[in-house]
Amino acid sequence: MTALDPTTAQLPAQPKGGTPRSGQHTRLWAALLALPTGWMVAFFLSSMVIVVLLSFGRTQADGQPVFSTRLDNYAQLWDPLYLRLFLRSVSYAVATTAICAVLAYPVAYVVALHGGRRKNLLIAAIVVPFFASYLIRMYAWSALLSDDGLVNSLIVRLHLGGGVQFLNTPYAVIGGLVYGYVVFMILPVYAALERMDTSLIEAGKDLYHGPWRTFWSVTLPATRAGLFGGVLLVFLPALGDFVSAQLLGGPKTFMIGNLIQQQFLEGQNWPLGSAMTVAMMIGLTVIMVGYLRATATRSREAS
Amino acid sequence: MSLLHHTSDDAGLATAAPAVSLRGLTKSFGRDTVVDHLDLDIGKGEFFSLLGPSGCGKTTTLRMIAGFSDPSEGSIMVGGKNVTATPPHRRDVNTVFQSYALFEHLDVRGNVGFGLRRKGIDRRAIGQRVGEALELVQLADRAGSRPAELSGGQRQRVALARALVNRPQVLLLDEPLAALDLKLRRAMQVELKAIQREVDITFLFVTHDQDEALSMSDRIAIMNNGVIEQCGRPEDVYESPTSVFAAGFIGTSNLMPGTYADGSVAVCDGLRIPVPAGHGLGGGEQVSVAVRPEKIWLSELTPDMVRVPGTVVSSSYHGATTQYLVAIAPEVTLTVLEQNLPRMSPEDRWTPGSRVELGWLPEHAVLLR
Amino acid sequence: MSARSRRVERRPAVAVAVTVVFFAWLYLPIAAVVLFSFNSVKSLSTFRGFSTRWYADFVHDADLVTSLVASIGIAAVSAVGALVLGTMLALGLSRIRSRTGRAVGAVTLLPLVTPEIVTGVAALLLFTGVGLKLSLVTVTLAEITFSIAYVTVIVRGRLAAMSTEVEEAARDLGCTPWQALRLVTLPTLVPALLGAGLLVFALVFDDFVLAFFTTGVSPQPLPVRIYSSIRFGVSPAINAVGTVMLVLSALVMVLALIVPRLWGRKSSSLDLITGA
Ligand SMILES: Nc1ncnc2c1ncn2[C@@H]1O[C@H](COP(=O)(O)OP(=O)(O)O)[C@@H](O)[C@H]1O
Ligand SMILES: [Mg+2]
Repeated sequence: MTALDPTTAQLPAQPKGGTPRSGQHTRLWAALLALPTGWMVAFFLSSMVIVVLLSFGRTQADGQPVFSTRLDNYAQLWDPLYLRLFLRSVSYAVATTAICAVLAYPVAYVVALHGGRRKNLLIAAIVVPFFASYLIRMYAWSALLSDDGLVNSLIVRLHLGGGVQFLNTPYAVIGGLVYGYVVFMILPVYAALERMDTSLIEAGKDLYHGPWRTFWSVTLPATRAGLFGGVLLVFLPALGDFVSAQLLGGPKTFMIGNLIQQQFLEGQNWPLGSAMTVAMMIGLTVIMVGYLRATATRSREAS
Repeated sequence: MSLLHHTSDDAGLATAAPAVSLRGLTKSFGRDTVVDHLDLDIGKGEFFSLLGPSGCGKTTTLRMIAGFSDPSEGSIMVGGKNVTATPPHRRDVNTVFQSYALFEHLDVRGNVGFGLRRKGIDRRAIGQRVGEALELVQLADRAGSRPAELSGGQRQRVALARALVNRPQVLLLDEPLAALDLKLRRAMQVELKAIQREVDITFLFVTHDQDEALSMSDRIAIMNNGVIEQCGRPEDVYESPTSVFAAGFIGTSNLMPGTYADGSVAVCDGLRIPVPAGHGLGGGEQVSVAVRPEKIWLSELTPDMVRVPGTVVSSSYHGATTQYLVAIAPEVTLTVLEQNLPRMSPEDRWTPGSRVELGWLPEHAVLLR
Repeated sequence: MSARSRRVERRPAVAVAVTVVFFAWLYLPIAAVVLFSFNSVKSLSTFRGFSTRWYADFVHDADLVTSLVASIGIAAVSAVGALVLGTMLALGLSRIRSRTGRAVGAVTLLPLVTPEIVTGVAALLLFTGVGLKLSLVTVTLAEITFSIAYVTVIVRGRLAAMSTEVEEAARDLGCTPWQALRLVTLPTLVPALLGAGLLVFALVFDDFVLAFFTTGVSPQPLPVRIYSSIRFGVSPAINAVGTVMLVLSALVMVLALIVPRLWGRKSSSLDLITGA
């Protein structure tokens, strides 16, 4: 036991040269992170920084946007016209979110708890069209609802009236938004319902009687996390949308998205467009933080 | 099956060295010391169990030996070689994981042959050794199945074969049977022990199940809070626990705390329990006397027994045995386990309230500090 | 027992009705597009008889066909690019425990909560700022950037479900860290990777907003082409193009849902999408 004496063979606690000697091979993982992180910095973060910088910029006489340090663009935003448009966008997005929630619950409920063996098929039937061309689906509605479209021709043919103007109304725009994003509400609510212990509902029925009271006191609290997630997933894209208002609405129903889009691709006032984008992001962040705060306290109270 | 044995040439060189030896092995997470200066030698071919309650540091110890986790202090030797700084893939140690950790994308054959392929052994030899290993765990007919198609017991066997086929110096098993139902577990205990005898590889077996440890092991180390409380053969650990924890953790034990004086322990007023000599106590120390339930007699007492009067509090019938709770003092109740022998009729059982006399041989009382 | 099940049955009558109406509403416009793409006359309200003339128009419109091919190319390249980068990111993030690692993780998920129009505007400014000429290449770069997060989320979900012991088992059986990744982790992830790749393909193929902001004048991705045609008035030819797009992306989506299942594993990207 001379050379092999373990007490003399004991090593210092730290490995030589700092090489990873165990399963925690941090270096490999760091190397894997480097490329995608670099990509995201180069193409995402830097682009966001440019937007912020250009929002303080100006447009030269020849129409070229240049960086600068003025607040003109933001001052220009402080205009009743723009403020009204911003409020309109928020109210459309809120309405969209609310309708999506009201629609998502019964559908997710039926699929999750009464879908039986066809559950996955039903969910796929919901998911597939939603991931299929948003533009085509909006176009389909505009064709259906146009003055000489299928819906109006049916109304006339069935003598229900002399035709209804659907397009260019807030209803059409909000309807389009709901159609576009309701899946983002259904999926998280569905997932929450799937995870929910159904015996809770049984117990609730014995305790509260009546499906409505059971829903309010059992199902809704149990699926709160899914609902909160869905609200975010619908509200965010709905607020920034411009396709629905473009195809189903008109100037009277334009949203922030349309305004921004115009600055970049029609009006060619990029610095102003950047300021609008930044303002929208700030507005969104404020709303989100407020929302997350509120839902966090709610969730804490619930548990 | 002989191919699974160690070839004698690699065993010859280091016969003197234990298969595993740990010196001052310590692991701390932040300020928590989870494994605390462990010293342990495990002999070649030994079936060694690390037994302890959940969270006592068994898995952490095993992970350090396998190389998945760096010790904070101390050293690990495997087969006489210091491997403290060796990465896992170069340690001659294999692990059977508690979750089995099978490779879902490979079939049973691919799983079992995985380690051999990494060693660059030629394909014919791999095929043969995989076949033998599958025979050994009785899975030869499932060689082409995916892990997802196997039952829990079969997955467990694949995990075992996948590790054994590499003929490691030491096989580490982390609660390998914990996920199986009781009946299958009992069967696997017997089988695992038989396999270990057959392949003659050192097993370091981690469990929190004392029955499992007692029935399978050559030696047991009882671990608690990161330290080894006692280490020895199953019968020694069971018959002569050296700590209150060991006595309580292995089997049931009646612990009677009291003050030592003149060869006996005063449990309470008027109740002194004689204990065997040879403990070197002076008198006045706080100690406990431990007696196993099955070592206590309720009838046919012999003159050389320690006798204590008591009252039966409850009795419960367990088929082969009857368990009584007997109060011998206001605060002290002993569990007594009596065999239901053929000559005993149901009327022979004591009913609650009966006055009885308990007796045990003095050498069956263990003094614990 | 029968009383109980009757109560469960009876309860969601309203909900069942809503669901039926929902599905009708969901498929009505899609069905109309498909139906009128086969109309023999130009009307969008009266079906006069079956014909494939609008498909013939589409096939003979070189511009539209170029756009279709361009969109397929962008989607394929983006799927591969996002898959590689997103998987690297997911692997790195799931293993690294440092604070920097978590910060990186949060930043990479930002595109998921950023309205697409913001990403589009930002990409437009970045590309013109560094002097990159807008083209299909810039579209692809933007789409990859946007899609990485999807892949990362899906692969991280699968990794989280995968016991870390599996990778340790590979190390135990003689793998270096890199070999464990290559021989065990990645093969285990294959179904999730296929699902994620197909999902990205479908998303990018259909994507309008990002493409709209980052594309050059010609050739344009198909959705952008369609958008400009719609603005000049509704035409039945668009129905034919739309039907082709719907069928293509629906096929890819169905594949994305089914392929991981065919791999003999129970989890599919559907579970990852639904979070169940
Ligand atoms: N990576 C870790 N970080 C912090 N604490 C840990 C870690 N791994 C294990 N522990 C702690 O170490 C203790 C021992 O764990 P473990 O070795 O798994 O116990 P056992 O296998 O005996 O049940 C537990 O209290 C556990 O919480
Ligand atoms: Mg453990």
